[in-house]
Parts: sequence; C-alpha cells; structure tokens
Amino acid sequence: MRSELNDTQNEPGGTIVSNLGADGMSPRSGWGKRFVKLSRSPVGLTGAIVVAVVLFVALFGSYLTPHDPGLTDLYNRLVPPSWVDGGQPQHLLGTDQLGRDILSRIIMGTQVSVAVGISAVLVAGVVGVTFGLITGYFGGILDTLLSRFLDSFMAIPGILLTMTVLGVLGPGVITLVFVLGFTRWVGYARVVRGEVLSLKSREYVEAAKALGQSNFWILARHVLPNVMASIIVLATLNVATTIIAESSLSFLGLGVQPPTITWGQMLNDGRDYITTAWWLATFPGVAITISVLGVLFLGDWLRDVLDPRLRK
Amino acid sequence: MKSRNLALLLVLVMVLGAATVGCGQGAEQGATDDGITEIVIAQGIDVRSWDIHDHNNTATEALHVNVFDYLVWRNQDLEIQPALATSWEQVDETTWRFELREGVKWHDGEPFTAEDVKWTLERIANPETGAELREHGQYKQIQEVRIVDDHTVEIITFAPEPVLLNRLCRLGSSMLPKHYLEEVGWEGFEAHPIGTGPFKFVEWIKDDRVVLEAYDDYWRGRPEIDRLVFRAIPEDATRVAELLTGGVDIAVNVPPQEWPNVESNSDTVLKRANSQRVMLLVDRLNPEYKTSDPNVRAAIDYAIDKQALVDTIMGGAGTPTRTRVTPGNFGANPDLYNTYLYDPDKAVELLAASGYGPDNPCQITMHSPAGRYPMDKEVAQAIAAMLESVGFDVNLQIVEFGQLSNIRNAQEHQELYLIGFANSLWDAHLALNSLRQAIDGEKQHHYFINEEFEQLTAEAAVEMDRERRAEMYHRAQEIIADNHGPHIYLYQLKNSYGINKQVNFEPRADEMLWMWPVTVNEGS
Amino acid sequence: MKRYIARRLLQIIPVIIGVSIIVFVLLRLTGDPVILMLPEDATPQEIESLTTALGLDKPLHVQYWVFFKNALKGDFGRSFRFKAPALQIVLERMPHTLQLAGAAMLVALVIAIPLGIISAVKQNSAIDLTASTVSVLGRAMPNFWLGLMLIIVFAVVLRWLPVSGKGTLSHLILPAATLGTGMAATITRLIRSSMLEVIRQDFITTARSKGLSESVVIYKHALRNALIPVVTIVGIQTATLMGGAVVTEQVFAWGGIGQLAVLALNMRDMALVQAIVMVMALIIIFANLFVDIVYCIIDPRISFE
Repeated sequence: MRSELNDTQNEPGGTIVSNLGADGMSPRSGWGKRFVKLSRSPVGLTGAIVVAVVLFVALFGSYLTPHDPGLTDLYNRLVPPSWVDGGQPQHLLGTDQLGRDILSRIIMGTQVSVAVGISAVLVAGVVGVTFGLITGYFGGILDTLLSRFLDSFMAIPGILLTMTVLGVLGPGVITLVFVLGFTRWVGYARVVRGEVLSLKSREYVEAAKALGQSNFWILARHVLPNVMASIIVLATLNVATTIIAESSLSFLGLGVQPPTITWGQMLNDGRDYITTAWWLATFPGVAITISVLGVLFLGDWLRDVLDPRLRK
Repeated sequence: MKSRNLALLLVLVMVLGAATVGCGQGAEQGATDDGITEIVIAQGIDVRSWDIHDHNNTATEALHVNVFDYLVWRNQDLEIQPALATSWEQVDETTWRFELREGVKWHDGEPFTAEDVKWTLERIANPETGAELREHGQYKQIQEVRIVDDHTVEIITFAPEPVLLNRLCRLGSSMLPKHYLEEVGWEGFEAHPIGTGPFKFVEWIKDDRVVLEAYDDYWRGRPEIDRLVFRAIPEDATRVAELLTGGVDIAVNVPPQEWPNVESNSDTVLKRANSQRVMLLVDRLNPEYKTSDPNVRAAIDYAIDKQALVDTIMGGAGTPTRTRVTPGNFGANPDLYNTYLYDPDKAVELLAASGYGPDNPCQITMHSPAGRYPMDKEVAQAIAAMLESVGFDVNLQIVEFGQLSNIRNAQEHQELYLIGFANSLWDAHLALNSLRQAIDGEKQHHYFINEEFEQLTAEAAVEMDRERRAEMYHRAQEIIADNHGPHIYLYQLKNSYGINKQVNFEPRADEMLWMWPVTVNEGS
Repeated sequence: MKRYIARRLLQIIPVIIGVSIIVFVLLRLTGDPVILMLPEDATPQEIESLTTALGLDKPLHVQYWVFFKNALKGDFGRSFRFKAPALQIVLERMPHTLQLAGAAMLVALVIAIPLGIISAVKQNSAIDLTASTVSVLGRAMPNFWLGLMLIIVFAVVLRWLPVSGKGTLSHLILPAATLGTGMAATITRLIRSSMLEVIRQDFITTARSKGLSESVVIYKHALRNALIPVVTIVGIQTATLMGGAVVTEQVFAWGGIGQLAVLALNMRDMALVQAIVMVMALIIIFANLFVDIVYCIIDPRISFE
C-alpha cells in the first residue's frame, strides 16, 4: 500500500557507512556495550557530540552569549564577520540590521529550536502511540475510519496545516508545539498498530486473558517494549524535521514571535539584506543544518544499534 | 512492454507540461520595443481603486495624475498653475469663479464642460452622495457649484475658504466624466476609467500592473511616451533587482541598503527628492491607555533618538522634525523643523515621576506596518529598543499595512503605532484639522482636548489673512509638540528613486509620478 | 482495469470529504469563523450577514452541509483583502505553483535517477558515499535556506540569475533548483534501494548468465523495473512538493498559491486560506490518483481484482 512507502519519507540518509556489522545484536543488551559501539562509529559519535553541544548551548545559552542578544547599537549596524574587511573582533559573526550581535542571537535561538523540537515530538509520540494502541486493539470500524481519516490528513501538506491552525488560534509557543505534534503522530501510530495487530492473536495474550487481566493493558505491556526501539528512532528523526519545520514557520513570520529569538526569524530578517549583508542570512542556516545533521546522525546510529531489523 | 513505456512517458509529459505552464508570459519589455517607447514604473503597492474620491493613497494618486486632470495643478516647483481651469478670481468671500479650458476632450471623445465640474465636486461635497467617501472631509466646505455657461463655473463655499485652490489641485480633485459615469456607473468606471489626462487606460491586472497608453488629443499635447506600465512589486529587493536588470525603468522607494547597488550599476542612477511624508507615532490619549499620562508621553518622546534613526537606518535620507507641517507647506513653523528632543535620562526621570521604574516597567503595545514605508520595520524595532532602554516594556506588533488600517478603523490600536502621513493640501490645515476634538459635530476618536488648539484651528480654517493664519498655525503646532500627543513626530522622509539613465525623469516632492514631460534618450 | 480505475475514483470521494471536514473544523477552532473571515473594522451588519450566510445560528451538521454545498459550487467565501471570491484568486495563481512544482520535480528526477543508479551499481564506492552524504545534507538543510544561499551565490555574487520574481526561464531556475534538490535527496535513496533490490533478483541473474553485457543488463532490464516505484514516488512527493512550494515561493516572490497562503495568513484572510487548503489538497489527491493508475498500467505484477 502507498502508505508503507510513506514511512521511509522520514528516514535519514540511507546506508551511511557504519562500523557496526549486522551481527544480529539483541536489542536487550546492555547500554555499556552500546557506548563502546558508539565510540567506534564515526557517524554516531559525531552525531552524539553535536547533539550534546546543542543541548548544552540550549540549557546554558543565557550565560554563553558574548553580548546581550537584544541590545541594539544603531551605529554598528550590518558589521561583517570579524574575518572580513570591516569586521570587528568583538562581533565574531557580525551584527544585524539593528546592530545586534549575531553570534549571541544564534546561541539564544538554540533554546527555541530545542524546546519546540523536543516537546512537539513528545506530543506526537504520546498521541501516536495511544492512537496506535487503540485502533490496533479495537480494530474494526474504528480502524477503517482512522485509516480514511489519515488519508485525508496526509492530503494536506503539513506546513500548510500548521500555518492555518496558527493563523486561526494565533501564534503562541504552546499552540505551535501542539500543532507540530499533531502533524507528526502518524508514524508512531502506524508502528504501534502494526505491532499490536501481530501480537493480538499470540498465545500468551490468550493465557493472560484467561487469568482475568484486562485486555488493553496486557497489550500495552507486551507491545510497548517491542516497539520502543522503533519509536526512539522515529522520535529522533522527528526532532530533526520539527526543528526544520519550526524554522520554516518562523521564517514565514508565523512561528514564535519576537522578542523571542529563533533561527528562522533571523533568516527572515536577513532576507532583505541578502544583496548587501550576506552574513545575516547565512549563519542561522548553518546553525540549523549542523543541529539537524547531528540529530540525523545520532538517529541513524540509534537505528543500527537498537534494531538491526529496521535496516534495509 | 509497450504500455509500460507509454505510461512512463505519460508521467514525464505531465511533469514537463506542468513545468512549462505559464512560460512565455511576462517577458519583460525594454524601453523601446518595435519602435514603441514604453516606460515601466515599479511601486511598492498596487493602485487601490479608480474612485478618485475614495482611496486617500499617495501611490494610487501618483498613477492617477497620468489619467485625470485637476482644475489647477502644481508644477515641478510646486507653484499653482492653470490646468483645466485657465483663470480664476474670488468674487466675494464665499464665491470663486473659474474659467474653464476650451477644446478639452475626454478619452472617449466627448467634450469637457462645466457640467463635469459640477457633477464631480458636488458628488464629493454633498453629504448625500459623498458622506461615506474618504475625501468628503476635504470638500464638504463646498456648498454648491453653479454653472454660468459651458466653460464657466462658480464654486460657492459655506464659509470663507482660504485653501480652496489647494483643495482643487490635490488627491481627490480630479475631474470626472459625468456622461460616462451616468452611463456605466462606478462598477463600469472601475473596470474601465476615463479622464482627460495624457494617458488612457488599457488594462489593470490586479496586484500586478496597470497599463496605460498615450492619448493623442491631450490638451497639453501628446506625451512622448507611448506606453506606460505601473507595476506593483512589494519586495524592495525584487523591485530594485528588476531595475538593475532592465525589467523596470523607474523604481520608487529604494531602501538605503540598495543604494550602492543602484549607484554602482552603469545603467541606473539614484535620485532623491524631499517628500511631504513625515513619520510619526500616534499615541492614544484615551484614559485606559498608559499614554494618557503626559509623563509617559514625554518620556516616549525623550527616549527616541531621531537623528540616530535618520543617520543610521535611513542612511541620512531624512530630517528630524517636531511638526508635520514641513517647509513648503503653508503655515510651517520653522522652530519645529530640523530639531528633535532626545534625553534618555530625562525620560527615565519622567517615568519615575509616574511611578514606573526597573521593577515596575511601563507596559505598552506598539503597532507598526512592515514594508509600507521605507525601513518601517527596522525603525519600529529600533524605537522599541530605545523605549525599553529607559524602562518601557514594549509589546511590538508588526503587521501588514492593510491589517493596521483595519485595526485603526476598528479603534483597536493601543498605546502607539508608527505611521507616515503626507500632505496633499500643502497647507497646515490638512495636518492639524483632524486633531480637533470634533469636526462639525462628529466626535473624533483621539481624546485630544485642548481649548486653545480648538480655538486656533477653528479660526484659522476661515481666516483669509495669510499672516494671521500662519501665526495661528504656528502656535497650534507648538501645542501638539509640547503635549507629545496625539502625535509624536519623528522625521521627514527623503524619497530615493532608482532611475534608468536613459529616462529623463525628475522626481517631485509630492511623490506624483507625472510622466507627461518625460522623455527617453535615443538608442536605449 | 477499468474497474480498478472506477474503484480508485470512488475511494477518493471519502478522502475529499475528509479534507473538507478538516478544513471546516479548522476554521471553527475558535468557535467563531466570521471574525476570521472579515477585517477588523467590519460593520455589525457585515458580521450579521456573513453569520447568516454561513448558517452559524444553526447546529453544527447543518453548518457543515452549508459549507459543503457552497464548496461544491466553488464558493469558499470572499477574500476581504482582494475583494473577490476566494476561489477565483486561488485559481488565478495556481498555474504558477504548478509550473514551479513541475520544474522542481524535473530537477529532482534529473539529479536523482542517475545518482541513484550509480550509487546502486557501484555500491559502497566513493560515489555512493558522496551521494549519501549529499543526501543527508539535503535532508538537514532547510529548504528556504538553500534558496537564500543559492540567491547569494548565483544572483548576487555571480550575477548569472535574477534575485527573485517570475517571468522568464531564468527566473524559474533557482526556485526549481531549491525545491527540487530537497526532494532529489529522498528520491536518490529510494531509487538506490529499488535498484539494489532489483539487481539481486533472479531474472537479472538469468540475463547475466545468458551472456548479456553488464550495461545491457543494467540499463535495459534492471532500470526499467527499478523505475516503476519512481512513478509512485512522484505521487507521494506531491504533498512534500506543495509544502515546500509554500516556503520556496515566499523566498523567491514567486506569485503562486504558496506565497498567497503566507500573504493570506499574514492578513488573516481566512476565506482565502480555506480555498487554498482545499485546492492544494485536491491537487495532491488527484496527483496520487493519477500516479496509482499509471502504476497499475506499468507494473506487470499487479493483478486486477
């Protein structure tokens, strides 16, 4: 069915060379072993380091900024990066159209990207898993209805849906997180549903039923550990796409509003100066790309390590 | 096998087809094409409407002046000259007699007569037909237009009108064809307007362009330009890019960051003109807003470094001012021009006097348009930052101009909003009259209650002695400046135009894009 | 065959209805859609007449029925910004988006097909690795940032291409490249895996054992079979394409429905937004339908029930 191929849409960059062999490592082996494997995989290691740095900057950003990110300095507008002619050493990446230090603003922007990225994925995960459990378990009409609904849902481009909801409800971080979450829960639902369907008829479920335990919770307890691996991988990938989605919305002026600083906003501001001050539009994009790359690499490694079955 | 190949081919064809849809449309034409001289002008917004009485928009009027004529007009030096009226005299206090030009024809060939003048002016002046129209306030002083003969009219006003001539050479005073409007109505007119001006309407593609062509029988003589295209390109960068690549010949409102690009390009040149437009903050005096407190208003005024705004963001293209009536306008107060208040310490003191301080910031909301005026967004952000540095907590809302207009009309704006006002009357009357408490019984919304101001403006409105009038207006401007409300003026704009070197266009201080005298160099 | 087509056509009806329900719900999330569809300074009479027209004084299912009936007539409300029926504005700009989408898909296929093939044929080689890296980069880079960078390089520094706007072929290049390369990353990967799968199959081994040259094997047999899923890809990617178009059109001031959506949302002109969502969804649904049908024609493995 068409939808199967949809699942691969969110996959990272294919078979990146990994030092992990397909040795059928059981997903239940210790984390200690995994750490060793991590250090042997250049891709995974890079990803982990980048993600760690990003998280660190997000948490401690306020203390790391060389200047006050909101401080305007009209007489130092549009100063180029320090290594370019006309640059100043105290503004490593230059200043923007109001004289604000770009490096400081990029550091502050990390907070929104990380916060929104993680929360939206949490929302997506919770909603998706719940839906998957419910529809897989109850099946029947509910399942068919849901599939039809999913098809309709997928016919509207995610960003358009997000924009519209924000337009109706007004921009706001909470709304943003929830609506970004709502456009991503489908993947989780499918994975969980698949697992539920395959487990539904197994013997130990029958046995547990005979013992008088509630059906739904049997299912939950047996399904979740098995799908945890897929969910973690999916979640990592979703963080990546969510960061990009959030920055796209900010770029369009529909995401998180000023004075909160986001990378997307900085790119939007920089657009007017593209012909005269290229650095405004360049560095925030680099920040986004590096962050997302880190997450994708980490996700790839996680996928290899947690469930070699997922690898094609 | 074969069907498979066929199907793959089908998909490819579909993709290709989609890719070529619309190709071939919009190929840009240069200044000369098949021997036709065509000039393309790019503005930031599209023409709003063809109802000359109901748009109140400078950019729209800048285009309209090529299609319609006034009774009198201002030349390049802004002196009032005959146009559709050849001579005039004031018969008594409330009566003016105008002799109309003979031999003028509408674009459809019908003659221009006194009937048209009567129809046009009475439509906007008469509350029954004009009350809902935006320009009504500027023309309701006219009681009646009396037809003496085919080419003579008398305009009768309710009270002495010192600015009647000004009213007849500005936005809202174009002459309209009575016979045509009675035939096709406004809907028909909006679809295909006609006037007596040098260019005829050809087509209007909404949000894209207006196309005009030369009118052979124009009373001043046929213009040199054969075809005139006004394009709406809201994006500064795109507008300038089109100029640099030859897609347009004149680009209006070139922002400072693009000046180097235009000047270094061998085909284009940058020309600047003083404009009538003054950027200002409208601060609300209604009791429920923080700006009803005079200390807060004064603090706002003292917190903003207008010269810095002009020098940095505007690239020097502006002049700080504490009045909207700038030199060239009748009644301009020279003491309030090219000067400004800036004292951030004083601003902090003033806020403290009203109980605001670091642990109790003064929270205000400020609206600003984006892309409507040169560097409006940046200026708004800079102002917000300046205000915050003295102890305000500013909730800055940057919205599209259409939305700001709606918000204003619905009276939903808050403490401050940034806007720019021009002055098509060239007289202090237009700048100050709207600040009166009530205009003919209709209460205004701004809560500005100052008896002296009321008295001064009411008297000046009917004072025919120029010196006395000017004095009254000088004092009125002082009152507004000292009150820091309902307006806090920032700076007067200087407009920058990007022009193709082959086009001999000199910008005007009233922002009108008057193309009749424009010539194009050979071999372009 | 015909029955399959008929069946698929019937299947999209509930999907379209589903989309209309979603659109209906979206506009009513705050409870009062009228406020959204009129400017802030609407008069009480205007508010009242729209309220009656939308049937808001009636129960929800009646409201939906009104909405649905109007939608069938093509009436999605009136854009207060453009002072014209919403659908009309959208249809005026649709060709531009289709043009961009088509060109982008072309760019994506032109890059992805050769790259995917070579990656598969020379698996794990330097080229394969480079292609994978570029793929990941393509996934990590925000679409609009790529556009901005391309503008800096090709329009500002090199001055080969215009900065933005539309009109000539040279205006189309950068936006199409921006929109297309993002997809090229995904498609390359898919073609690669598809090729790898096909190559391993029996009939390829048979062809080889028959003594056919490697290039014939690859280009005549493997490729043709590997390209079949490509058709499906074109369909699936339509949704991504439309979504990407929204941002790309904004970067390049490309006057299509993507840019219109951003404008409408910034102006809070919800009638227009509603029309845009419906039209985009319909484009995606029909693109997928078309692709499914074509897929059936060309895949010999599908039997027609």
